[in-house]
Amino acid sequence: MTMKRIYIKRKTGSENKMKEAFIGLFICLTLIFLVGMADQAGAEVFTQCPPDTDGIDTDGDGDADNDNVCVHLSAGDGFVTMADGKPLYIFGFGDMDGFADADIMTNGMLAAEFAAPTIRVREGQRLYITLSNAGMAMRPDLFDPHTVHFHGYGNAAPIFDGEPMGSFAIKMGFSLTYFYNINAPGTYMYHCHVEATEHMQMGMLGNLYVLPKQNMTMAGKFVYNDGDGTTAYDREYPIQMQAFDPIFHDKSLTIQPLPFALLKDTYPMLNGRGYPDTVNPLALPVPMDGGVPLNNGTQSQKVSALIEANTGDQVLLRISSLSTIEYFTLSSLGIPMRVVGQGARISRGTDGTDLSYMTSSVTLGGGESTDVILDTAGIAPGTYFLYTTNLNHLSNDTEDYGGMMTEIIIHPGGTLPPQAL
Amino acid sequence: MKMRLNKRSIWQAACLLAMVLLMPLMQAQAAIDGVTGNTFNLTAKADYIITPDSNSILMWGYALNNGTMQYPGPTMIVNQGDTVTINLTNNAAMPQNVSIIFPGQTDVTATGGAIGIMTREAVPGGGVVTYTFVAAEPGTYTYYSGTSPELQIEMGLVGVIIVRPAGYNAVTNRIAYNSADTAYDYEYLFFISEIDPRIHAAVATGNRTADNAAFFPVYWFLNGRAAPDTMLDAFVPWLPTQPYNCMPRTRPGDKLLLRLVGGGRDMHPYHEHGNHTRTIAKDGRILKGPANEDLSSLDFTTTVIPGSTRDALFEWTGADIGWDVYGAIDTACIDTGAVLGSIANDGLDDNTGLPCHDTTCTDVSPADGFDDATKEYCSDHGKPFPVTLPSQQAIMNGQFYSGSPFLGTMGSLPPGEGGFNPNSGFLFMWHSHNEKEITNNDIFPGGMLTMMIIEPPSVLLSKP
Repeated sequence: MTMKRIYIKRKTGSENKMKEAFIGLFICLTLIFLVGMADQAGAEVFTQCPPDTDGIDTDGDGDADNDNVCVHLSAGDGFVTMADGKPLYIFGFGDMDGFADADIMTNGMLAAEFAAPTIRVREGQRLYITLSNAGMAMRPDLFDPHTVHFHGYGNAAPIFDGEPMGSFAIKMGFSLTYFYNINAPGTYMYHCHVEATEHMQMGMLGNLYVLPKQNMTMAGKFVYNDGDGTTAYDREYPIQMQAFDPIFHDKSLTIQPLPFALLKDTYPMLNGRGYPDTVNPLALPVPMDGGVPLNNGTQSQKVSALIEANTGDQVLLRISSLSTIEYFTLSSLGIPMRVVGQGARISRGTDGTDLSYMTSSVTLGGGESTDVILDTAGIAPGTYFLYTTNLNHLSNDTEDYGGMMTEIIIHPGGTLPPQAL
Repeated sequence: MKMRLNKRSIWQAACLLAMVLLMPLMQAQAAIDGVTGNTFNLTAKADYIITPDSNSILMWGYALNNGTMQYPGPTMIVNQGDTVTINLTNNAAMPQNVSIIFPGQTDVTATGGAIGIMTREAVPGGGVVTYTFVAAEPGTYTYYSGTSPELQIEMGLVGVIIVRPAGYNAVTNRIAYNSADTAYDYEYLFFISEIDPRIHAAVATGNRTADNAAFFPVYWFLNGRAAPDTMLDAFVPWLPTQPYNCMPRTRPGDKLLLRLVGGGRDMHPYHEHGNHTRTIAKDGRILKGPANEDLSSLDFTTTVIPGSTRDALFEWTGADIGWDVYGAIDTACIDTGAVLGSIANDGLDDNTGLPCHDTTCTDVSPADGFDDATKEYCSDHGKPFPVTLPSQQAIMNGQFYSGSPFLGTMGSLPPGEGGFNPNSGFLFMWHSHNEKEITNNDIFPGGMLTMMIIEPPSVLLSKP
């Protein structure tokens, strides 16, 4: 017994010494890292947004010098509130537009938004997306790199595809600028592709919309360059289906092994919210944990899912799914749906055959999108519902009557002002 | 010592001999691996498959002749109009009757064996049943057991039938259907399935009433393999029961035909990075209307439905990307075919034979905006690369990255990084976008995932 105890004591003693040495080394390394960062702080975050100097009006808006558009995203972590009040830890993208390079890393911490900031561009523009990896404030043990995958960009090159095995990902503390010649209208998505199952389940998901050139040449707003106005609409709304498994998120926050095999989503959402939060027209309040504000007191769920229109309006729903586990069916009760596109392409055959169709539901798996126009002609003013018919997902975890559902409010003709976008 | 040496040299000689013997065989099968003919002898057997996390799982499957069980079963490639005969023997070790049904085929006759609910069945202990049908329509089809399908398909009794159209010629007319717009250069099979190993474990312990209602898959497969095994060669000896791989390769401007088959129970959104695919057929029927209207459509993700098939065409050129995907123009590059034995405009320097990018983009015939030989998009020729890339210390390189943003160009990479891209191609992930499915039972990455390669124009791909 004595021997054993001595042995244990001895071991503990040497472990302590090891620990001391390790802590010393860690402090030393941290100092070196911080000094290095301070030294190069300005140089590490690097926005690239060249001026448009080609003298050609590529987007057709009549101005030859405004065709380059730039977006600056941070990649990091943060918190959101589920519709039953539970705060959940997420990874996500933050909107860094307007910040000086030197301020991006501090402002990018705990700046994750869900859904990620929506990117809207016009056909003919050149899009520069700078991604700055601000690191995970709540997970200092993680040094995950990140990417932006422009999901659906045609004729892509790996260097800007954001799939890290075919190219590379950006490390913590650095920036990477992606370039896209925007040449095809439609409903796209973007998401991080690093450790895709984890980073996407954790919330690095957003919308990316490309508006057609036809908007510049024909009166009205269109989904595609249809040539005949069949994809015209009066109002448009984002509808991105997503879902979270709270166990996975809690294990991530508490630095536990991640349960990939047991992944099971119990918070189905539209635009990062479960019903009834979906119908809140504003950004959701700052996530709170026991009365303490999270995210440095900033809001993280800014995309509403409320749909409003006047009777007679053609209402475009840009529906996409970035669910990481399941297919979801989304049904419209009382207002017919017309499907005019899928996968950011107009529903037409190679010879122009019209493949659009009427329906009352659409089914999407992860990574799919579809353009649905709600025809409200003759629809009486009132409240209608857009909801999943995977009925077990009409819930916010254990709370029933929620989940993947939102409201379509039809106003009397002419009462709602035109949509400003 | 001596004996050991002898043993090893014998083994080596045998291995070499096997390779030499198998080589021509493999080449002959290089389109989609499978067996051609019109009479097939299959045997239902039990054996194990291996997953990349070193699990081995009991399967029941169809073996060619009396060979090794395989998952999926042998891909049978027949010609339109053939009378196809399939003799199915039930191996002695199988505990249940087995059978085959042929969705999409009509007038299938079954003879021999015992009466079953959906078709005639082969009884355990060597029973034989014979199925015959005329392969009337071209396309991609599946076949699977019609006996206890809720269990036997999960256990692996499922495979693919490809019917070549009447006008098909392997050299001069590679078409999926009897329509010129279904022509392709390369074809690849994507047999998409998933399994719940608990059911297989229950069967292995003699419990034949496994709970199929509690199905909860944790393995996802392409052609019977989970990533990264999907990217190994076909017929590697250490995966004897999973002979088929899934590693599509193409070149700029060439057409790749995807034959997608739903082989399990769940739907899967199969996302093709790189460009859209055009779905041209469903369940072995071309998407044309009664007046030959084109009903095909483009999408960036293809939903693959259980028991159903999709044929889709994929083509990549890098068109309108806004910069020259072949990099800076090299004015010293001579690629005019001037040197004896060199080929004009093949992307290789006439003198050195090394990849180079000359000043010309020759778009004469056809005048379609693309270089006649390399399919380079001429409007982007010479356009500069639009951004400054981060320094090496700022990035984590992927193993399939060439080190350069340009097709066919190799860049410098730190030691041990990259390297799985010998021709400096563009590699794109083709995977299930229900991202849970790119894991192997709790381990990321894996599952329903592979890398598709756009090889530079100078790489010659065989079109058998």
